[in-house]
Order: sequence, then structure tokens, then C-alpha cells
Amino acid sequence: MNQFVLQYGKSNELLLFPHILEVGLKKNASVSFNTFLTTATEGLRLYYIIEGRFEWRINNQPVILYPGDVAVIMPGVPFGSDKGNLEVGAFTWIHLGIQKLENGQVVPGKWSGLSDSEGAAIGKILLLNPSPVLSRFSEAGKILKCIQSELFSTEVAYQARVNHQLDELLIQVTRQLTRQNHSARDFPKTFMHLEEMLRQNLAHQWTVEEMAALVGMGTTLFTEKVKSYSGFSPINYLINIRISEAIRLLKRPDITVTDIALDTGFYSSQHFSTTFKKLTGYRPSEFRNNHLRNI
Amino acid sequence: MKCIITIELGTNGIRMFAYDLDGKVIGSMRGYYPTFHTEPDHSEQDPEQIFITTLYVLKNILNEYIHPKKYKVASICFCASMHSVLAVDKNGNPLGNAITWADNRAKKEAQELRRSELGKKLYAATGTPIHPMSPLVKIAWIREHDAGRFKQTSKFLAIKSYIIHQLTGEYMIDYSIASATGLMNIHTIKWETDALQYAGITASKLPGLAPVFTSAGKLKKAYQQSLRLPADTKILIGSSDGCLATLGDGVKGEGKATITIEDSGAVRVMGPAVLKDDKMRFFNYLLTDNCYVSGGPTNNGGNIFEWFTRQFGDFTNPFDIENSIGQLMEEASKVPAGSDGLLFLPYLLGERAPIWNANARGAYFGLNIKHERKHFVRATIEGIMYEIYSIGKTLGEQRNIKSLSVNGGFGTIPFCTQLIADLFNKPVRLRRQFHSVSFGAFLLSATEMGIYKSLDDAAKTVELPDVYKPNKQHHAIYADYFTIFEKLSAKLFDEFEAIDELQHKYAVKLTS
Repeated sequence: MNQFVLQYGKSNELLLFPHILEVGLKKNASVSFNTFLTTATEGLRLYYIIEGRFEWRINNQPVILYPGDVAVIMPGVPFGSDKGNLEVGAFTWIHLGIQKLENGQVVPGKWSGLSDSEGAAIGKILLLNPSPVLSRFSEAGKILKCIQSELFSTEVAYQARVNHQLDELLIQVTRQLTRQNHSARDFPKTFMHLEEMLRQNLAHQWTVEEMAALVGMGTTLFTEKVKSYSGFSPINYLINIRISEAIRLLKRPDITVTDIALDTGFYSSQHFSTTFKKLTGYRPSEFRNNHLRNI
Repeated sequence: MKCIITIELGTNGIRMFAYDLDGKVIGSMRGYYPTFHTEPDHSEQDPEQIFITTLYVLKNILNEYIHPKKYKVASICFCASMHSVLAVDKNGNPLGNAITWADNRAKKEAQELRRSELGKKLYAATGTPIHPMSPLVKIAWIREHDAGRFKQTSKFLAIKSYIIHQLTGEYMIDYSIASATGLMNIHTIKWETDALQYAGITASKLPGLAPVFTSAGKLKKAYQQSLRLPADTKILIGSSDGCLATLGDGVKGEGKATITIEDSGAVRVMGPAVLKDDKMRFFNYLLTDNCYVSGGPTNNGGNIFEWFTRQFGDFTNPFDIENSIGQLMEEASKVPAGSDGLLFLPYLLGERAPIWNANARGAYFGLNIKHERKHFVRATIEGIMYEIYSIGKTLGEQRNIKSLSVNGGFGTIPFCTQLIADLFNKPVRLRRQFHSVSFGAFLLSATEMGIYKSLDDAAKTVELPDVYKPNKQHHAIYADYFTIFEKLSAKLFDEFEAIDELQHKYAVKLTS
């Protein structure tokens, strides 16, 4: 395939795809300067390396990419190369418009065939992802190639096909991200990582699907492993963490019970109160009074 | 029908058993809580999560096994890991997380104290080896490096003391846990003045000392209601995991020793006299008056073989480490005893007894061109067991060990148990599907209730029906290789120090 760049609003090929902000392929025959400057955009950007070796910066961290690697750049994250230099080689990319919801979640948007909860899970995992590079992930290259040829050939039902492939790309990238970070050898380490993520995002309404996906496992195996490792189902384990954190916060006088409930992931102070009492025997306010009053 | 519930607050979580009064298990449950390593040498646990997990698991075990069958809970007996420290303020609220036994932040303090005359004196008085694990040096560390917390601290508790305080409102610590703090004189059973002075505290900063049979107060009303337990439910303060594992295996009396190998391990004996040791290699912890549990701990037990399995095992079933360990054990059994001369030093986590060297590291030695992957597997297991044997051997200098028992998840794998029997050249007894620590807690409760006249009588009832007999030929081979193992462990002292230094020097700081 030859070099090209399509942009929504400029290129007719993208008329039906307002969520594809940009798609392109670049073949760089000689080192060029000031062409690949650091930018931050609203969209999700995926770059797939076809040939060569590129030294870029994602979120100010240096990364080196080789053929088959994918760079995943989240909305708002600065990305480019030092001094805008671009090495010899070829790569292809796509910029996707991603919908940001009021609660901070990101979801793919209406074009996607993903259900709301699956879309939210993928958005969450991408947001939490610590490593912006997927190594040796040629699957992504194949999908991008397919999307591009569909856009140019406009065969029957190409609109649906492109959107299907975009879903496929998001799914594969997300799965690869979690698999890459978790070998199937060390469940304690995997669980530790999950635990850390839960603690850092305690206010989030976690689902088992999200938790499982976060560590690259299917829900069935995940639930079984968590149960046999921790003695608790994933949701009950999460409740443990929530109540533990709530207890710590209740011992401080400067935060209201409602705020504690929301901060620790209960959807209402009523829900918090019921769960707390069931486990501890006290209503949160009683517990607080006991501890502030001294024992 | 009456029952006894035992609660073990362990390193990786909580374990509860319900027993009927004949010592038969009615049911058991576990609950995990995490250990945080916010700094390389730190190892901490969240006291609130431990408490919530305690309530949660207790509630579940009651609702599943006890209430439906109308059992009456005669007593709830506690048991815990040793050496933890939790600072609380005047309201009893935690000042930060609990510091666990595995925490190494006080290694400088420990090293200096161990080399001093005061260290020798404190070791003899308190029975606790001078090591970063000891609350004695941990409190000294907090005083030096965390003055704010030190100043605010109203009491330095053990995790168990905190949990009991939450449940009943009493501040107390049992003799066993207290004797592992490095702060209690095991001969007079009082807080040791010199130790308090070294730590920079007075006895008022510590919970009250209580015999292991002490009733730790009444459950608070709210818990009586939420757990559906009557007000007269006895909360027994109990003992430590090490002491109770020894009692639970019936190791009371002359000539008996027990080997525990879980993640880490220990070899222990129990008796009326302490082990005196100029090299300060053994611990002497107190179970009851004139009953000491003595021995040596190792850092490197089942966790080392898990490490090996994670690196080199086959994970055909994702995350199924038991299966992978099983396959490797099978592979190891095809290699002759002694691994055709491949030796493994298992000191991946530094070592406590008998070499007490935090800088010790692992090594494979004696490799030749004929060695295969399977030799590494067997050598790794043998290395872990040589280390257990080296503790047993030093204990043997002071006690005539005639019979051995084994407990713990790793030690009771048949291949491992046989290796222990061969190495020690003694029959080894055990009971499958048996949890020695909680059974020890059961014996303690039952003795307190008057079912047994004394702990001696209780210990005598323990039956360990399975026996592994030593293979003399294997013993001869292991004994030959062990001499090299022992020499290497001592000889490499300087190189351990040097490699530790380089490992720190070139350690890449992980930024995640």
C-alpha cells in the first residue's frame, strides 16, 4: 500500500465515520527533522510499526518501537519524538474519537457494537494501562490494513465492516495489554496488581467482568481463582477493601459519612450503612461516635 | 453440642477452624489479606482489613457450620504470626499499617545490636534472636526514623492485640507473642527493663502481659448481635503460630522435634529449659510457665520452590501452580538422590538460622555437562531440605532428637517428607489433611475448658499415623553432599556480602 492520510472533515472516504479522526500510512525513506512533533489530542491514537526502528516519547517516557509493535496513546497524552525527528521506516496509524462521560469514564461511542458495560470495561482498562507499547502484536497491523482497504474499496456493507474491525481492534488491543502484563504463572502477583488497581479506583463501580479483564482473564477462571486464593468472591473481596478503607476514614472527623460512602464505592449512604452494619454490627455513624469519643 | 473455634491471623491471611470437643473438624474457612511493600525493605499489613476479614470469615463460618447445626461456641481461641508491631494513638486508632515479621527496615539497628554486648544480654534475657524481625529493633527504628509517629504512639501492639481490642476493648498480649517481641524477659515473665530502655519506651506503652489461657474480655454488644453469639462466649487470647504448631504435633516431651515447612520453615523442640547458644542462633519462646518452644527459623521454604516453578514449570493450566509443582516433583523423582552432584543453596531471601546472614544468596554448585533440567528440579528441593537439616543438626548439638514430625503445606508433600526422613535418617510422622497450628489452638482451648488436665496430657493425645521410614542408602549419599553444602554456606560469606553490595549498587529503580 502507498502512503496516504485521511482526515475526517477533509477526506470523503471518512464521511460516514465521524469517529475516525485520522487514518494513515507513512513510509519515511530518509531521516527527517521537525516533522514528528510532540502533540496531545482528544482522540485515542494507535500506531503500528511496519518497518524500521523508531524512538518516540509517550507521556514524556522514551520508548523504542520495532516492527510489529503498537504504541497506544490515550486521549490527552503527549506523544511525538524529540526535536520532531523521524527515523527511516514505515508505520500506519489511526486516531479514534473516544467519548468521555461525565464520571470520567471513556466509551467507544454509538458506532460501536460493544455493549455499554463492555465498552466501559475496555475504556477503564485502557485508562489504567501502565505500558503504552504492545510488543510483537502483528494482529493489530492486519486489522488496520483491513480497515484501510475497506475504506478505499467501498464494497457493499463496508461501513459495518469498518466499524466491526474497529471494535475488533479495541478488543484485541485491550486483551493484549492485559495479557502482556500478566503471565499465567504468578497468580499472587496478578492479584496484587488487581488489588492495587482496586484501591486506587475504589470509587469506581467495578464489575467482575472489568476486574477479570484488567488482569487478562475470563470471568469464570478469574472468579474461581480469586475464590480459591482469597477465600472470597471478587465482589466480596472488593467489599472487604471498601469497608476497611471506610473504617479508616470514619476515624477521621473531617469527612462526612456520605462522602466516605461515595469515596469507597458505595452508590448511596444507605447502601453503605446497610453493608457496614451487616459486617461490623455498627451503623457507620455509631462506629464513628464510638471511636471519636474515645474508648 | 459445644464447639471450639480457632482463629489464626497468619502472614497471608486468616484461617479459621471449628472443632467439636473431640477435636474433629466441623468446618474451616480462609480469608486473604495483602502485604504491602511500599519500600523494598518494608512489609506491612492493613490492620482494618485484617479486622474486617476476621469479622467476615467468622460470620461466614458461624452461618455455614455452627448456627444451622445449633452448636454452642464454647470458646474462640486466637493464634497469630509473631513479631508484628502496630502503633496506635490514645484513642486506639492505628498510626499507619502494622509492620510484619518479614519487614527488614531495621536491619542496621539489628546488625549493630547483634554485635554489641547489650545484644548478647538481651538475647539471653528475651529469647528472641536479634534480627530486623524483632519488635525490639522495629520500635527503635520508629523512634529514630519516624519521630512523629513515635511521639503520637500511645501503645505498640501486636496485630492480635489490636484485633482483640477491637472485639472486646481489652489491651493485652499473650506470653507467646510477647516472648517473640524481644522485649519480654522469658525467665521472669516481665517486660525487660534493658530492652525497654533500648527501644526508648516504658512498659505503659505495651499491652498487659497475659498467660495463654487468659479470657480476653467480653465481645462487644454489637458483635454479639451481628455474629449471633451469646455474651458469655469465651474469647481466649491463645498463643503464637510457632508455639501452637509444636503443641499441635504433640511435640511435648523428651526427644521430640517438629519441622514446619510452609512458605518459610522452622525446626522446633519444646521443653522446660531454654536452649543457650553463644552464637545466638536459636529462639526460645514461651508457651506457658516453664514450657519453652525453641528452635531455628528459615526464610527459604516452599516459597523458593514456588519461585522455581514460576520460572521453569509448565503452566498448561493457567495459574495452576499446584499442578505445575506436581509435575516438577514427578520429574525430580526420576533423578537419583543427590542429583548426580548438583547442589543448591536456597538463600534467595537471605537466611536466618543457622547462618543468620541477610546477605546470603542462592547458588547452584557442581554443575557438569551431564546435568539436565530435571537435575535442577531435584537439586532445588534437596537444597531447601539441606537447609532444614542444617537447623536440625545444630539443634541436635543440644537436644537428643529421637522422633520427628512434619507439618505445613510444602513439608507434607510426600516427596519432601521422604527426603526429610532420608536426610535425618529418622522416621518422620505426620497426618494428612491436618492443620497443626489450629489443632494446637484446639488443644489449648480444650485444656482451658478442663477436657485435658494439662497441655502435657493434651499433647499426648495427638496421633500422627503416617510414617516415612528413612532409606539408609539415600541417607549416606545426602550426608556426603551435605558436608559440601554446609561448607559452601560458610565459605561464601565474603562473596555473599560482595554480591549483595553489587546488587544494591546496580539495582534499577523501577518506575511503574
